[in-house]
Amino acid sequence: MPGQETSIARRGPLGRPRRTRPGTSSRSGSPSRDLGQEAPRVPVTPLGEVNWTGTRRSSYFPVVFSVLFLLTFVGSYRLAQVEPLLLFEAEGRRNILKFVSGMFPPDLSWSFLSLLGRPILETIQISLMGTFMAVAIGFPIGLLATSSLTFKGILNEREMAASRPRAMLHRASYLLARAVLSLFRTIPEFVWAFMFVRAVGLGPFPGVLAIGISYAGMLGKVYSEILDHVNPGPLEALQATGASKLRIILYGLMPQALPNVVSYTLYRWECAVRASAILGFVGAGGIGQQLEISMRMFNFKQVFTLVAILFVMVAGVDALSARVRRAIMGRERI
Amino acid sequence: MYLLDRVSKVFDGRTIAVNELDLKVRRGEKLAMIGQSGAGKTTLFRMLNLTIPPTSGTLLFDRLDIGRLAGRRLREVRRRIGTVYQQHNLVPRLQVVHNVLSGKLGAWPLWRAVRSLIRPAEAELAYEALSQVGIPEKLYDRTETLSGGQQQRVAIARTLVQNPEVILADEPVSSVDPALAAGIVKLLIELSETYRKTLIMNLHSVDLALAHFPRVIGLRDGKISFDLPAAEVTDDHLATLYAGSEAETAEEVPSRAEPHPVRSCQPHLTS
Ligand SMILES: Nc1ncnc2c1ncn2[C@@H]1O[C@H](COP(=O)(O)OP(=O)(O)OP(=O)(O)O)[C@@H](O)[C@H]1O
Ligand SMILES: [Mg+2]
Repeated sequence: MPGQETSIARRGPLGRPRRTRPGTSSRSGSPSRDLGQEAPRVPVTPLGEVNWTGTRRSSYFPVVFSVLFLLTFVGSYRLAQVEPLLLFEAEGRRNILKFVSGMFPPDLSWSFLSLLGRPILETIQISLMGTFMAVAIGFPIGLLATSSLTFKGILNEREMAASRPRAMLHRASYLLARAVLSLFRTIPEFVWAFMFVRAVGLGPFPGVLAIGISYAGMLGKVYSEILDHVNPGPLEALQATGASKLRIILYGLMPQALPNVVSYTLYRWECAVRASAILGFVGAGGIGQQLEISMRMFNFKQVFTLVAILFVMVAGVDALSARVRRAIMGRERI
Repeated sequence: MYLLDRVSKVFDGRTIAVNELDLKVRRGEKLAMIGQSGAGKTTLFRMLNLTIPPTSGTLLFDRLDIGRLAGRRLREVRRRIGTVYQQHNLVPRLQVVHNVLSGKLGAWPLWRAVRSLIRPAEAELAYEALSQVGIPEKLYDRTETLSGGQQQRVAIARTLVQNPEVILADEPVSSVDPALAAGIVKLLIELSETYRKTLIMNLHSVDLALAHFPRVIGLRDGKISFDLPAAEVTDDHLATLYAGSEAETAEEVPSRAEPHPVRSCQPHLTS
């Protein structure tokens, strides 16, 4: 906030050594960490005699972590058999050339194009419905998976201190929500689609379900991360007026998080368009089904056309979401 | 209104922000709190408005032990306490009207809170509150487009709309010019006098505190250094309060200023 440190008259400047982060005054930093876990009972000693040692966290972690990461990276390079030169050997070159030249000229015959109207529409419908479902499922679970809403930080400081069972309940629901989101994410949408095709039969609906579930996992996680990182100051102020959590979400959390939430959701929609092409491979409808057929028949001319159409669709969604984003954020102060 | 008995707040098990503090505040009382940066003023306020629980000690609000309160009962007590924050704590992207009306959130049923985001309910109320702090024309502006001082006044308007029994004002005039600062302090005092509200204000300006408040408390290292009627606060008291601060070496220990006429405040603030 501007001007927070300007006083209008004389004030006692920083006196004794303070442990505030520079620039932020007192508690604007990260209450979730500052307030989350305090030792409940600390013998109160005169200020000079506070025991400073032993409370600092060890700073080895970054070093150890960096070394481990480097080792893993080198190891992976060898184990994954990364050999870029393979791409340029005679054999590889010939195959690529054959594949690419086989694409020309793309198949633009009416008999082929007339087959594509329905799959194209279907792909858009799958991606749209799938994303919608993902938001509907992911958002509420994401709220539960937001630690600053469920058990940590300023919004829970008092409640958690007041009753232990309630604190446990909140923490449990947080862990459960995170576990559910992880599960949704770990299973690839491809596998989800495969299962749903068994369950509800061929067609676009299993595609919608697959995208809905797996994207709910990703959206929920990212939502919770976005919500965890909004400025807690305004939330504290709303809470102090006696507002309930739901109202704090409405008036403090969402307004602050909205640009990021919308932006990420639109990006996921774009991904869903691409994903729904893959899902066709297991019979979940859309343009992917056609792509699969053409690939299987080594008809690269058709593949080219299909990929081009997919490209146009993704670009279109991208352009559209850019406009929506601008509409929401365009009013931002410069 | 408040009764504090040996209240302490320790952060992270090592930073003692408030140290065994005893304090009694009667209903309708007006008091100013002064002290160095880091003395624990804001921390004390956050305990007084039931945001953070004390590490030890008991805190009574209106003879109610609020230590064990939770849920609805806790919110009901919070509603009776209004806080003006040092950092304003407004939602930057919302229009001013919503920030001001969010003072009503504790009282509104949920459906009205939702509907108000689309079409402000009780916009007249927000307008009135903004008029009192002198910026009614900003009603529908985006809050982040306002200057620091204007935002501070929006924060005050939010508390006016909340209409609490106790007003805790943490540096409510830190980002406005001196003339306006005096006006706002006077406004809050008048308000608390007319409606018999309890007013506790943190101030970095010793002059303002001594000029406007009957009772002044000096806070140092989380303890009360003095708690006196304004007339009895001497230069010695202030010297002890600010001793060891950089201000001292700079020969700038705050002292009782010559009683100078408070600079003219803006006309609309004197109403
Ligand atoms: N959330 C927190 N976590 C850890 N330490 C904190 C926290 N809030 C405050 N402190 C510490 O408590 C002490 C008192 O801080 P406080 O904000 O109450 O001071 P203040 O009197 O309001 O200062 P100022 O006049 O600068 O606003 C400081 O040493 C500060 O570092
Ligand atoms: Mg402060």
